[in-house]
Parts: sequence; C-alpha cells; structure tokens
Amino acid sequence: MEYLLHIAILVSIYAMLGLSLDLIVGYAGLLSITHAAFYGIGAYGTALLMINQGFGFFTAMLLGMVISGVVALVIGAVLSRFRGDYYALGSFGFNVIIFSILLNWQSLTRGPLGIPGIHRPELFGISFSDNVMFLILCIILGAIVYGVCWYLTRSSFGRVLTAIREDENMVQVFGYATPYFKLVVFVIAAMLAALAGALLASYITFIDPSSFSLNESIFILAIIILGGLASHEGALAGAFFLIVLPEALRFLGFPSDVAAQMRQVTYGAILVLFMLYRPQGFLGKFRMN
Amino acid sequence: MDILVQILLNAVIAGAIYTLIALGFTLMYSTAKFFDLGYGALIAVGGYATYWSYKQIDLPVWLAIGIGVATAGLLAFLVERFIYRKLRERKASGTILLIASLGVLTIIQAVIAIIFSSQFQTLSKNIGSTRTFNIAGGVITDVQALIFISGLVIMTGVGIVLSRTLFGKAVRAVADDSTVASIVGINSPRILGIVAAVGGAIGGLSGIAVGFDTGIEPLMGMSLLLKGVIAAIIGGIGSIYGAVLGAFLLALIENLGAWQFAGEWKDAIAFAVLIAFLLFRPKGILSK
Repeated sequence: MEYLLHIAILVSIYAMLGLSLDLIVGYAGLLSITHAAFYGIGAYGTALLMINQGFGFFTAMLLGMVISGVVALVIGAVLSRFRGDYYALGSFGFNVIIFSILLNWQSLTRGPLGIPGIHRPELFGISFSDNVMFLILCIILGAIVYGVCWYLTRSSFGRVLTAIREDENMVQVFGYATPYFKLVVFVIAAMLAALAGALLASYITFIDPSSFSLNESIFILAIIILGGLASHEGALAGAFFLIVLPEALRFLGFPSDVAAQMRQVTYGAILVLFMLYRPQGFLGKFRMN
Repeated sequence: MDILVQILLNAVIAGAIYTLIALGFTLMYSTAKFFDLGYGALIAVGGYATYWSYKQIDLPVWLAIGIGVATAGLLAFLVERFIYRKLRERKASGTILLIASLGVLTIIQAVIAIIFSSQFQTLSKNIGSTRTFNIAGGVITDVQALIFISGLVIMTGVGIVLSRTLFGKAVRAVADDSTVASIVGINSPRILGIVAAVGGAIGGLSGIAVGFDTGIEPLMGMSLLLKGVIAAIIGGIGSIYGAVLGAFLLALIENLGAWQFAGEWKDAIAFAVLIAFLLFRPKGILSK
C-alpha cells in the first residue's frame, strides 16, 4: 500500500511537470530542454526558505514559485528572441548551468551533500505528514495545475500560442508581439514546475542536485512526447506510463543502481523510437517540425 | 605577473580541448545541419573505451588511445546510419533529429554507467610522476603539452583535407546543399556517414584528452558538449577556423573569469558568453 501511494505521488508530481512543459513545447511549439532547472529552483527555493528562514511550507512554496518565475522572466527574455534549434540549445545550456550552480554554490546549497530534513506541509492544523494526506494534497494541487493549463490553452492567449506554433511570422504580421507571448507562457510553466519541485522536496524530505540535471529535463520531455504533444490527457498518460512502466524493472531483479540506469535507457529509447515511428505520441495533436 | 602567465597557459590547454570538441561538432553540423546533442556521449565513449583498454586489459597507451578514437568514430557512424539517416529518409526536421539525439545521449550515458559505474575515474597510471615544463614562469604537464600538439595537428589536418582533397570538396558540397550535391553524383548519405565517423572520432579524442588531464565520468560529455557548441557558435557556426578561434576565445574568457570570481562559476561564465553572442552577434565572429 505504501508502495502504491509512493507511485501515485510521483505520478502526480510528474503529471504537473508534464502539463506545464507541454504549455511550452506542445502549445507554443518551443523545444525547451530546461524544465528540470525550474523544478530544481522551486525545490531548492522552498527547502532553503523553510530551513533557513523558518517559513511554513505553503509560504515557502509560493515564494519558491515567485523566485522561479523571476529567473524564468530573465532567462526567458533572452530565449524568447530565438526560434527552433537555437531555442532548444539556449534552454539546454541553461539547464547545465543551473545544475552546475546547485552543485558548486556550496555555501548556499551544500553542493552534492544535498539538503536533508525538509518538513512535510501543515495548514490550519492539518498535517500532511502521512502519505495518504500528502497524496490528497498532490491531487488537489495537481487539479489546480490542470485547471490553469486547461484555462490557458482555451483562452484567447492559448489560441495565439498555437498560432505562433503554426506560423510565427504570420502572427507577427497580424500585429502580435510574439516574444511577449513566448515569454509569458515560459514564466507560467516555470512557476508550475517550481510548484512540483516544492512538493518533491517536502515529500522526499531531502534534495540534492542530481534530481535536477539535464537527464531529468529529458525525462520530462519523454513524458510529453510519449503521451502526445498539445494534449493534457497525453501529459497525464505519459507521466503514468513512464513512472509505472520502469517500476517493472525493479521486479525483474536488477540491482537498484542498474535499474536506475536501465530506466534512463528506456526514456532514451522512447525518444528515439517515437521520433522514428510516431512523432506525435499516443494522444498528440501536434508533431514537432 | 606569473599568475597571469599561468592563466594564459591554462586557457591555451583548455582552448586546445575545446578546439577538438568544436571541430568534431562543426564537421557534423555543417553536413548534417542539426544540433547533435548525442555527440556529448561520444566524448565519454572515447574516454571510457581508452580507460577499458589501457587500465582494465593493460594495452599499451597508444593502442588504447587508438581504440578509444576508433570506438567513438564507429559508434557515431552506426548512430548516423541506423537512426539519423532513417529519420532523414522520413523527411524529419532538425528539431525531430535533435530530440532523437537527446535519446541517443541518454542511452549511451546510461549504458556507460551500467558497464563502468558512475564513479569518477582517472586515465593516467602514474599520477604524481608527470613531467612538467616551465614556460615564462608558468607550468604545464607533459600530458597538457601533448593535448595542445594533438589539437594543432587535428586542426591542421581537418583544414587541409577539407580545402585540398577531392573528398573535402565533396564534404563542402554536401554542406552547401546536399540535394544539389546528390544531383552532381556525390553520394550524400555516404559522405554524411564518413563525416559522422570522423567527427565522432575527434570527439572521442577530446574525451581521452580530458581523461588524461583530469578524469572521466559518464556524464562528462554534457558540459564539454556545451563548451564545444558555444565555441562553434561564437566562432560562426559551420566555419572550421571560426570554431578554433571561438574555442580559444572561450577558454580565455573562462579562465580570466574564474580568476576574477571563483572557479565554480566557469560554466556560468561560458553560458553568459553564449547568450551575449546569440543576442548581439548571432552569426559569430567569422560569419559566412
């Protein structure tokens, strides 16, 4: 039972990451390979604010989201001026840098030692310290994230985004400042990723830089590629399959470190095979081109 | 004064390594026309194949280096032949190829970690007994001198092959326009395959150089790849001489920055340089 709860909590955290990354990749058509950076900023921001400043989880989480949003605003202001491969490359570089900062800024992040002793949330006397309560919290916040993504993509803002995806020059001809739209969706997605990061930090009660490397960004990308781009259900399905499926490796009797690497092989193979045979994923409405 | 000399020397050595990475990357990019992030894993493959043959089965060092270079080249060729070429036949865009190359990067890195563990390893056998040379008050090791020389040799070799031989002419034709190259009878897929093998081999050599200078780990390729790509972009993407110029410029800025601030900010400085160039001079120093 505890094991199933663990899987369910992970699925809901990764569903939030998938939903928010899909706003950038699926709806705006921008290949961002840096989602784990904002996931990490949210996790570290929340953990450090809770431990160093004594904030409660929810205050720290909101502040973590704001920090992530501000960082996204700065880096996004640069990235939004690029398209296509250069966008991908710039975001790739940003993830490598955030990882290197988390690893090397030891006076703040304790580097590879990580940050232990992060508390579980508490609100109005309700404690979310046991896993059933934590899963409920994840589902509530996950529903909010889903709602935000659903609303955004059905609003006029979302329609402009999909139009940018199809033909950015044409949208500019109609007088839209496309970099502004690309920037706003980037900041929103970064804040939602930070929310997922805050949940992860408080759930595991320990974080270290290795959870926020480029590989993690590739994993989140694999989630939405598998599920299908520009589809909320696709992001949910992708998170479900990519968390649950590799768990089977555990039961095949691989040692845990080999199982972790086999998981990476699975994600990589999914990216290659889907690009070869089904670039739009299972439920996708859009294929990258 | 001595510290400045040492910084310059460090920058020259780092520049030689970045030159190798950027050369291999530029070669592949100029013909294949997409950002092949899987190239980062080939750097690690070179380092680990040499590690295996030199330290685990005790082959002579030159043979081990040859095996490392050949393995990286062969793997690059196979990836090009069985993944990228198939994607191209399906008229896949550069972005599709880029996503597939991320998959390749993840798979190769994980397989290396399964075989050799994720531990940091050194390639050299005689740590502590390396010879050093004094140059104008600065110090470099014999390994670093060799890295610098091999960087120069590869750079000149690539330059001569591309500009003076029939094969080089064919490569430049494919780089210009692979469709037209095919029309005039150049076997474009074959050229792409050979260029991938050569580019991969150069990438592998850079991994071996890093391995002898500091050490290897499965994820080493990621930040090295980033440095190579930054060097290629600030030099003017697709230009061989630009890549070399960019590599040394990047190494100089990085080392001066690390001296002024702190060593751990090296990567962040390199990234800032990339952003500055993308914003203000996106075609690089030597734009074509």
